[in-house]
Amino acid sequence: MGAATQIARKDLKLRVRDRSAIIIGIIAPLALAFIFNLVFGNTFDPGGIVFAYGLVDQDRTELSGAFIEVLESAEEEGILSVEPYGDSRGARSAIEGDEIDAFFELPDGFGEDIITAASPEIDVVGDIDEPTATQIATSIAEQFATGVETAQLAVATTASLRGAPVTPELIGSLRGDPADAATAYQFAEDAVPTRQLDGATYFAAGMAVFFLFFTVQFGVLGLLEEEREGTLPRLMAAPIGRVAVVAGKALLAFALGVISMTILVLGTQTLMGARWGVPLGVALLIVAGVLAAVGIMGLVAAGAKTAEGAGNLGSIIAVILGMLGGVFFPVGGSGDFLSRLTYITPHAWFMRGLGDLADGAPWSAALPAVGAILLFAVVTGGVAWLLLRRRLIT
Amino acid sequence: MKVVNIALANLRRMLRERSNLFFVFILPIAIILLIGVEFGGGFVPVVGVVSPEEQGLAGLIRDALGETAGIDTSDFESDEELVSAVERGRVQVGVFVPADLEAALQRGEQVEIGFVVRPDGFGPQLQSVIASAVSHVMAPVGAAQFAMAETDREFATALDQARALAPAIPEVEVETTTMGEAIFPPSMGRFDLGAPQQLVLFTFLTALTGSAALILSRRLGVSSRMLSTPTTVNTIVAGESAGRLAVAFLQGIYIMALSWVIFRVDWGEPLGALLILLVFSAVGGGAGMLMGSVFSNDQQAGGIAVVIGLGMAALGGAMLPLELFSPTLRTVAHITPHAWALDGFAELVRRGGNTFDILPELAVLVIYAVVLFALAAWRLRVAITRPG
Repeated sequence: MGAATQIARKDLKLRVRDRSAIIIGIIAPLALAFIFNLVFGNTFDPGGIVFAYGLVDQDRTELSGAFIEVLESAEEEGILSVEPYGDSRGARSAIEGDEIDAFFELPDGFGEDIITAASPEIDVVGDIDEPTATQIATSIAEQFATGVETAQLAVATTASLRGAPVTPELIGSLRGDPADAATAYQFAEDAVPTRQLDGATYFAAGMAVFFLFFTVQFGVLGLLEEEREGTLPRLMAAPIGRVAVVAGKALLAFALGVISMTILVLGTQTLMGARWGVPLGVALLIVAGVLAAVGIMGLVAAGAKTAEGAGNLGSIIAVILGMLGGVFFPVGGSGDFLSRLTYITPHAWFMRGLGDLADGAPWSAALPAVGAILLFAVVTGGVAWLLLRRRLIT
Repeated sequence: MKVVNIALANLRRMLRERSNLFFVFILPIAIILLIGVEFGGGFVPVVGVVSPEEQGLAGLIRDALGETAGIDTSDFESDEELVSAVERGRVQVGVFVPADLEAALQRGEQVEIGFVVRPDGFGPQLQSVIASAVSHVMAPVGAAQFAMAETDREFATALDQARALAPAIPEVEVETTTMGEAIFPPSMGRFDLGAPQQLVLFTFLTALTGSAALILSRRLGVSSRMLSTPTTVNTIVAGESAGRLAVAFLQGIYIMALSWVIFRVDWGEPLGALLILLVFSAVGGGAGMLMGSVFSNDQQAGGIAVVIGLGMAALGGAMLPLELFSPTLRTVAHITPHAWALDGFAELVRRGGNTFDILPELAVLVIYAVVLFALAAWRLRVAITRPG
């Protein structure tokens, strides 16, 4: 394989000197990942959203106090914040000023209405552009409302079973607290690790794997360019064999791919705080990914007539696969069809493999994705090799 | 007119390249479609549910979740599948309804409903939405359990009694209203947001990558050969400028027309929309020409064009809408012509404005175009009249 490595080394020097490889392989993905993370990074990381709510209590009785307690304990859990307002006008301007997402209003006489069964009401007013926050506020109020109703139902059922009317004496004679009827169930909460990439890592990985295919093209197209410029027959005339020539180009493409990906991993880690995961797992994904890229672009080159045609078709395929694979925006979140289609691209598997490594998972977590990507590499590379052999005979 | 001829030659050359058919015509429409399908419906949190039975209490809980407004429910066959979906972010929350609910309740036990969230995301907040639905189903059950403890009667009897009495219990109403002017009005079609964004992104990107054609024509000596004919430098520069503008404008018209026909995209008042497109195409054309005059290596220029084109599009609100930017970032975004063009479209499409309403945006874009073309013309003149 000495001849192949020599060819690869010579070409590598040529490519590095021709700055386009550096631009496509390193600068472009790094710059774009950085810009995307700057612009979208925050939207992408929902992490720890705290909904901001307001409260207008016109009632000021024990019952409205019970609702305030519910809100305050939620505030302690850190899932929302509550700001009191004197009247609904103050709360509305707070919504307009984007200070709160929604507010609750307990009208005057709320507590009384509950006791006298006179259609008690809780009002929720939400910002029209905050549907989720508004929905959650509504749910909190509804849960409270149901709790009140459940307690009343508990008392009524007890009274009915005893064959007696609901009176203060009956309520006083109860052993338990009717409010407990609302807690006949509870949630057994469990947290799971995240197997999804955070914003910075998503853009870093997406741009890296997207531009990888263009970087690899530099090496692969070399063969066709030599064909065009007439240096190929001269290479073939040398006593090195067809295999060495093709292997040399493939080796170059592989080297370019691995070098640029490695620089990107380190660069995005330093510049953007991207977290790629345990090194061995990342390395396996990179090697598999580069092999798949070489295989796919090699197949395009093997089947194309001219270097220019191969370049164009390769670019088109790289863009289609990238988009379907979800490197620019997540694909397959809704709808089964797209979420399955995305997995015909090595890009999607690459991103998924990195996701599996997220949150400190061991390197072996990436193995399924690595396997899938290698499958791409083997199939496309194999067919490419067969086509190239035939081509080089003539 | 020679200017027109040079412009048309540019246009013909662009159309003849087969790969351009994909990048200029197919790709923008494909992305509009993809984005409209994926994101056009707005974000609705998805709750995954594993429920062992379809009947009985478990079934009621599952149905209650399915009918809850504001969330989508997705059924899973196994616990592992649902956990994996939560980890990967395909659903926000996982709910696991236990089996044999009735038996546990009979024994007076408290029912435990499994709830799986991720530490990031808003799973914890969604718990109240799920709790609200479940509480409703469990209300007579809880009441029955309470009554059972108080009266030592059978659970089944108590439950029947509770269910019978439930309708008579006065309801505490929750009345929800919204206020404010919607940024994205509900009448907006699902493709209406993506289409102007893709229009702006692609026409500018194509104009920039088209600079490679200009560089090639310089390198191959076509431009200097044009000089040797009785054509002034000014004519050549004007012709190339017109060519760049024509290419961008043609792509823009195509995207507008096709998205209107296929996706029923509303572009607002036609005159205003076309004016934005025309002026923005001029900006793109000027930028492309500037790149074509400054760079000498067409491959390098191509790579840099992609970075600048996509980067400016992202910054300018052509990927994530400007309305979702932080106030600081939104101001910074207006360095790019994209932000101004998109503001113009927002005025036309979402607020029903007319040409007069967008005059400020048009004016800014014209300034961009004039400055870019002036710079480009100067550089091009230097480049093609330089000896050798």
